[in-house]
Amino acid sequence: MSMTLQATPLPAAGPAGRPRRKRSWLQQNSALVIRHAVIILFLLIILLPLVWVLLMSVKTLPDAMRGVMWPSVFDFSHYPFVFSKIKTLPANLFNSIYVTAGTVLITAFCAVLAGYSLVHLRPKGSGIVITALLMSLYFPVRVVSLISVYEIQSFLGLINSTTGLILPYITLNLAISVLIMRSMFQLVPHELFEAAKIDGAGPWRALWMVGLPMVRNGLVVIFIVNFVTAWGEFLLCTTLTNDQDARTMPVVLAAAQGGQGYWAWPNLAAVYVIVVTPGILAFTAAQKLFFKGLAEGVIKG
Amino acid sequence: MDQSIASTGFGAPPARRPKHRTGRVDRLRENAGSWLFLFPAVLFFFGYQVYPIFRVIWISFTDYQFLSDKPAKWIWFDNYIDALSDPLMWSSLWRAMYFTILFLPGCIILPLMLAVLVDRVKTPRLAAFYRVILLIPAVIPSTLVFVLWKWMYNYQVGPINHLLVDTLGIFDLQTAPQWLGGTPLTLPSIAIMEVWWGLGYHAIFFLAGLAAIPKDLPEAARIDGASEWQVFWHITRPRLAPIMMILVVLRFGSAMAVIDEYLIFGGFNRATPTYTWTIYMYDEAFKTGLWRQGLGAAIGMIGAVAMMIVVLVLLRVFRPKD
Repeated sequence: MSMTLQATPLPAAGPAGRPRRKRSWLQQNSALVIRHAVIILFLLIILLPLVWVLLMSVKTLPDAMRGVMWPSVFDFSHYPFVFSKIKTLPANLFNSIYVTAGTVLITAFCAVLAGYSLVHLRPKGSGIVITALLMSLYFPVRVVSLISVYEIQSFLGLINSTTGLILPYITLNLAISVLIMRSMFQLVPHELFEAAKIDGAGPWRALWMVGLPMVRNGLVVIFIVNFVTAWGEFLLCTTLTNDQDARTMPVVLAAAQGGQGYWAWPNLAAVYVIVVTPGILAFTAAQKLFFKGLAEGVIKG
Repeated sequence: MDQSIASTGFGAPPARRPKHRTGRVDRLRENAGSWLFLFPAVLFFFGYQVYPIFRVIWISFTDYQFLSDKPAKWIWFDNYIDALSDPLMWSSLWRAMYFTILFLPGCIILPLMLAVLVDRVKTPRLAAFYRVILLIPAVIPSTLVFVLWKWMYNYQVGPINHLLVDTLGIFDLQTAPQWLGGTPLTLPSIAIMEVWWGLGYHAIFFLAGLAAIPKDLPEAARIDGASEWQVFWHITRPRLAPIMMILVVLRFGSAMAVIDEYLIFGGFNRATPTYTWTIYMYDEAFKTGLWRQGLGAAIGMIGAVAMMIVVLVLLRVFRPKD
């Protein structure tokens, strides 16, 4: 290493005394400028569709139909309009929140318990569970099992039931959630739980007091991943429910055709902004913990 | 990195098992207690993933029709023979494969390029800012991504056609491209949407891999006069190979089994490019006639098995060479 360093002088720090042509800042940093320019181009490609829909939601109808990017007049009336005029909208929003909250909480609960058990309690047969979870990641379970899931739900009387959606939703990300929690708990030294046991704490108390704080970042990842899946789930929701009242907001939005009347383009866009914002805000708020959790658990899983 | 990826497989977890001599009853009770923690996850996993798969396999060997009163009869491989002798089965499989081929290169190469660029940003605040923006599409729920792009491609108000027709004037209203709705452009349009969706998410994966490469390695190579391309090809690329393998295999799986996009952008017209094996299965099981779920299950199993064969080949091709 040091040999090569001495053998070849750095191009920037040329031998002293030799006259050097003055170069502008731009020339010296051209690589840097190009790099940032390309990155910013990509970021613009990512952001532009979202900016477009945001602007669409505050356009007047003529502006929307003309297709201009920047509205000539800002019209915020579409937001109150959709709430007062579209009958199922409050119910659909409530369904989305209800189903998503149920799914996220129950999946996180299952994943924490299972991750803890698989790493620190290791009952007989847990190897089979891990193998099955891993295999399910490579098999298109969601699509192929649909026929049987419909049968189960109709057997349980849960067709067209919003609450009933929570049950299959939990399993959509269960395998990956358990595997994330497993790699999070692998980072927690076993001695901590041993010490808690010696202090007289049972396994539940040890998990709650010692384990949970240590896997906090992984929990954030699981919350976000499951939120995204449940909030935007389409296949099961359209298959297992029939009435617009029972469906979640994104599914209703996907069925809506833009045009005139209630579902005029700016109204659609306003609903879209209402539905997409919570996730983006929650992620931006939790992004530090999310990236930490990602680095600790997910990349390994 | 290789180590940690391998360890999620079947390797022994690092945690030690407590060693103490206890009676058989005590051990059994401890085992039962440990299973209690696993129970909720296993219950859901078994009830809604393991059991349904085996149930679907069973259904695929019967003439089960959901809406019919007649009990299902065991008919051996008749459903499979029916499906495989139908040219629609083969064209629907090919359509899924075609979509996957359109989609895979863009979802690996572009994020990789982006990750290499972002990795060299030295200002911590700027790097963090870039990462947050990159991940925004990944936290947009799937259906909302599809709805957004359905509007982007719209011929009436969509900004893409507005750019092509009004701003650039390449097309007029008669010749403006129909992106969706069963035209030959439908699958490429969906593939572009998928690349947009995964761009940042996959870049974050590659960034994590890049962070694990010791910084003095590329530095030393550059000092020795290696070009940026050589540094990338000989130092960066081999170290990112495990992540690339996981992404290729997982994304291959998800691309072959796409269904929500086709339900939203396409329909049940058997001649359109979005009528893939997943839609074929859905159509037979939930749309036509008395819901011939026996046949639908067989179509689903054929698609899934065809996919798994390619996944296994990919896993062998990309397996770590050490």
